[in-house]
Amino acid sequence: MNDRKSLTSLVGKYFRQHPECGALVGLIVVFIGFSFTATRFLTADSFAGIVTVASELGIVATGVTFLMISGEFDLSVGSVFGFSAMLFAIAAVNGIPLLIGLLLALLAAAGIGLINGYITVRFQIPSFITTLGALMLWRGVLLAITGGFPVRFWESSRILDFLNGNLWGEFRASAIWFFVIIFLLNFILLRTRYGNATYATGGNKDAARLLGISVDRVKIGNFVICSVLAGFAGCIQFARFCSVDPVRGQNMELEAIAAVVVGGTLMTGGYGNLIGTLLGVLLIGMLRSGLVMAGAPAYWYQAFVGLILIIAVILNTYIKRWSLK
Amino acid sequence: MKKNYNLIEMKEINKHFGTVIALKNVNFNVQYQEIVGLVGDNGAGKSTLIKILTGVFPADSGEIYFEGKQIKLDSPKMARDLGIETVYQNLALIDLMSIARNFFLGREPVRPWAGVIKVLDKPKINSTTEEVLKDIGIKVRSVEEEVSVLSGGERQSVAIGRAIYFGAKLLVLDEPTAALSIKESHKVLDYVLEAKERGLSVIFITHNIYHVYSVADRFTILEHGEKLGDFKKDEVSTEDIIEVIRTGRKIEKERT
Repeated sequence: MNDRKSLTSLVGKYFRQHPECGALVGLIVVFIGFSFTATRFLTADSFAGIVTVASELGIVATGVTFLMISGEFDLSVGSVFGFSAMLFAIAAVNGIPLLIGLLLALLAAAGIGLINGYITVRFQIPSFITTLGALMLWRGVLLAITGGFPVRFWESSRILDFLNGNLWGEFRASAIWFFVIIFLLNFILLRTRYGNATYATGGNKDAARLLGISVDRVKIGNFVICSVLAGFAGCIQFARFCSVDPVRGQNMELEAIAAVVVGGTLMTGGYGNLIGTLLGVLLIGMLRSGLVMAGAPAYWYQAFVGLILIIAVILNTYIKRWSLK
Repeated sequence: MKKNYNLIEMKEINKHFGTVIALKNVNFNVQYQEIVGLVGDNGAGKSTLIKILTGVFPADSGEIYFEGKQIKLDSPKMARDLGIETVYQNLALIDLMSIARNFFLGREPVRPWAGVIKVLDKPKINSTTEEVLKDIGIKVRSVEEEVSVLSGGERQSVAIGRAIYFGAKLLVLDEPTAALSIKESHKVLDYVLEAKERGLSVIFITHNIYHVYSVADRFTILEHGEKLGDFKKDEVSTEDIIEVIRTGRKIEKERT
């Protein structure tokens, strides 16, 4: 093997083991772009805004990443986000202690995840379908029980502060939650047997099963993790706004999937990591704040996310194909 | 290693899928330190027999004895725990994962971290994998590279090496040389012989009678779910075996 070849293969190896490279490049490009075009972009408040958006989306995207690595997909996270937030809010308004309300909301999310996982595994149908159904079902239930009206809860409470109070300037507690959660799940993914089983299940479920891994249990477990995190993110956002309307979290599933995929995780499973997802949600958060500060009408945000999604996936695919040569 | 029972003894195995009879009263055995070539055409029932033996699905009727004791297999994991290790042609390793992670998949050594959580013992995982690869003679830059950097023969060898490392007693190889070049096939065949040297028994499933003939001690021929015969290597030539498969005629001098 000559030197030139071994150098390219070394670089190739690096890219192969670091799916987040594409997202990092994207993040830097967008950052530099906004630094020149958006006034007040390079201020602490602006960063706080980005981090706040990224954290709430990021908690959802973390679960979506985990599930996607094990080869499945959850379109219902937006509905679960809204449903849990609403449950939490309704419990609060009715005088149920906030901590119990929070637990109820998380339990409901876990239950939805369990049902999603069980149905997908038991009936062997694509999770795209199971969770598309769940998306509509739980959104529908949410609209039906609220009659379409928002719920407000104006009392201040230590629990709400704990969930998403102001820490320093405009920085909020959600950022800490996000970093703790993403660190914890990254640890599980890379350092434990469960993480290994998650990669194996998504990489090749038949091979994994023959090697003695209970792929169905891994999948159901990840559906539950994904759903609970979506519900938790909903509760965190409720703590920020002190109100929740029945369309809360709509389209969040698509933003979360976009962030995950931009971060280099393969839709087909078996490959990806949470560092990529962290960069992906920061990229999306930055776009949202940056475009507003650059004076672009808010409508452009969605268009840009769409554009970046496609470019990022093309880049990631090429990098991966090239690195495997 | 002479014992008064076989390593594996499958008796009167029957299996049907709907109205299709996949196996009909099949008797099959493997002795200690023996390489058995399981041959037969497509749809002969080879895979069905092996899947019963490795716990993928149960037989409709029949008995299985392992080291003289009757067993009932509920899952591939149970077979693996007993020491029956299968290397499937395309399902031996997971392409997107590293060589080291593949080597220990499902049986990862762990060590306590911060006194509470069990984490993967990465140093052990990597150093063991390195040793085994060196043993087989496979050179890679790092065992943390993805499996896709290995050639087809190297993959088979890694999977066989894994079985040996984990103390398998019976190694089941499903078409191990099917997609390999001649040179690579020979390497894998050599390694199969080495597995036998180390005390393992091997079931070698193949269409390619020439590959299995060079290493096997005995052949079991299946056709349409029935056993056509059991032959020691010195009783038959490759042509005889092909003739049996081609004509589908049972041979009378069958061993019992």
